[in-house]
Amino acid sequence: MNRPDSKYFHAIQILEDNCTGCTACVRVCPTEAIRVRDRKAAIDPYRCVDCGNCVSACEFHAIIPASDPLDIIHKFKYRLAIISSSFFGQFSEDISYAHAKQAVKQLGFDEVAEEASVTDFMIKMIREYIRENRDKRPILSSNCPAVVRLIQVKFPSLLPNLFHQEAPMSILTRFLREKISTEMNLPDEDIGIFLIVPCVAHVTAVHQPEGAYKHLQDGAFSTGMIYGKVREIIKDVQNNPIPIDTYPHGLTWALSGVQAELVDNEDIRALSVNGVDNVMDILSRVEDHYLDQYDYIVLRSCTNGCVGGCLNVENPFVAMSRIKKMIKEGDSADADIRELEKLYQKGEFNVSPLAPRPIMELDKDIKKAIQKMKKINEFLTMLPGLNCSACGSPTCYALAEDIVLGKATLDDCVVLKRKPTDLE
Amino acid sequence: MAEYWYYADGFEERVQEQLHNNPEAEVDLDFAIPEKDFNTAGKGSSELKNLLKRLGVDSDVLRRIAVASYEAEINVAAHSKGGVMKSAVHDDLIHVRFEDDGPGIADIEQAMIPGYSTADDLVRELGFGAGLGLPNIKKNSDAMHIVSDIGSSTLLEFFIFFG
Repeated sequence: MNRPDSKYFHAIQILEDNCTGCTACVRVCPTEAIRVRDRKAAIDPYRCVDCGNCVSACEFHAIIPASDPLDIIHKFKYRLAIISSSFFGQFSEDISYAHAKQAVKQLGFDEVAEEASVTDFMIKMIREYIRENRDKRPILSSNCPAVVRLIQVKFPSLLPNLFHQEAPMSILTRFLREKISTEMNLPDEDIGIFLIVPCVAHVTAVHQPEGAYKHLQDGAFSTGMIYGKVREIIKDVQNNPIPIDTYPHGLTWALSGVQAELVDNEDIRALSVNGVDNVMDILSRVEDHYLDQYDYIVLRSCTNGCVGGCLNVENPFVAMSRIKKMIKEGDSADADIRELEKLYQKGEFNVSPLAPRPIMELDKDIKKAIQKMKKINEFLTMLPGLNCSACGSPTCYALAEDIVLGKATLDDCVVLKRKPTDLE
Repeated sequence: MAEYWYYADGFEERVQEQLHNNPEAEVDLDFAIPEKDFNTAGKGSSELKNLLKRLGVDSDVLRRIAVASYEAEINVAAHSKGGVMKSAVHDDLIHVRFEDDGPGIADIEQAMIPGYSTADDLVRELGFGAGLGLPNIKKNSDAMHIVSDIGSSTLLEFFIFFG
């Protein structure tokens, strides 16, 4: 099939020179988007959901998460960084939350905002949305861009159940862009708004937002990259601290379990699920109407939620423990959410209905699809059934499908080539 | 031997015609359902759903098939000595048969009443046995047929048309 590669942007890059063709990435991809052919891995942009599994699985630095270089901020007169709530769980306990935040600002930003500052507003908005949409049960969280894409490609019947409102960092972007523009009297193009993100799915979402009605951010920086730069200047910051607001209570957003507990209420039953395999299992059961007793399901592709993102530096369990400690011990600054509530009532945070991107269909015409399925089953009986991935397809079934779709041949099967007579 | 037929409005003729002509299925998919094995029960309907997604079956129809086949699969695991699930995919409908090794349904009409259940304690402990299995299959299919011989075996089959 000839597909234009440019239609879907992905923040995952393959460095062919480093790729050994080992197929580790092929085996961990939840949407079977990767194939190794001629000993090089390639990603099908239609199937990829940016979960980051392949980035973590590659031992040869051949699959690289792309994000923006910090110097792009200098193109703008006024620079704002919005920090993802998992960021502060990355630092060891001798580096305080406030100092880490101050250090980010000193990397060249005029202002630093936090995803965590709108958590209370998000919880309120989610509850209201659930109550207004009782007919679509359960409502599925939409903050994780990998989950949204997974639903588009594998569970399109569940698209109406997605929470159709912007994610917190985009809500902040909208609100602060307007505010800065008015208060500083600056045109839109002079204001640069950047996210500091824990995963490739968020980088992709910045460069190719789903359902957004307006221009949002101007770039996305990896948590790991910013972490390194913060570490370089942290001693200086610790010696010259300035007062800075922090929002420890809002950091719950980084932990899927805690977020579900917050939304849970007398009339709202919430479930929390994390890890892409668990997410797929749960979505399949939602499809079968077996989780209709839940009003809301928090779905995060990474372990424990955003703390598990592949651009983070700390183990997701350690980061979660640190964030829980901050939530318990810290005092949060008051965030005025009245303005945000007004904007929500006006429908400013609506997103356009998300469209399906089905990848499973063999053909638009069911009769042709059936013919292809029959051929797949024929090839399947010829293949050894070892699911070894040595051919470069994840399973024997996937190879049979690739052969029928013209993307591989029976000769790609390494086992068949070796023992042509044994399998007669 | 007891027999039960259900047809959704307007489907009796289409189903009888299908049974009479008995055309060969385009794609077959068979699964064994072991007795009281709730770890694997549900796998057959899950595989069937993946197959139907590949064929591009409309998502609302797909969800009805998924519910009906899952309920029937769990029924066989919970109430029988084990059995098989045989799906026959045609280009305009799906016909799924569940054949078990007994013990048979004593009173089919009673089993069709929502909330009625003969599930034992083990099954209930696992969260099944709410008495909604058969009514749910009926609700989601275009036709359903049960033939049961007490002391011997049960056949449950349902038909769902794609368009």
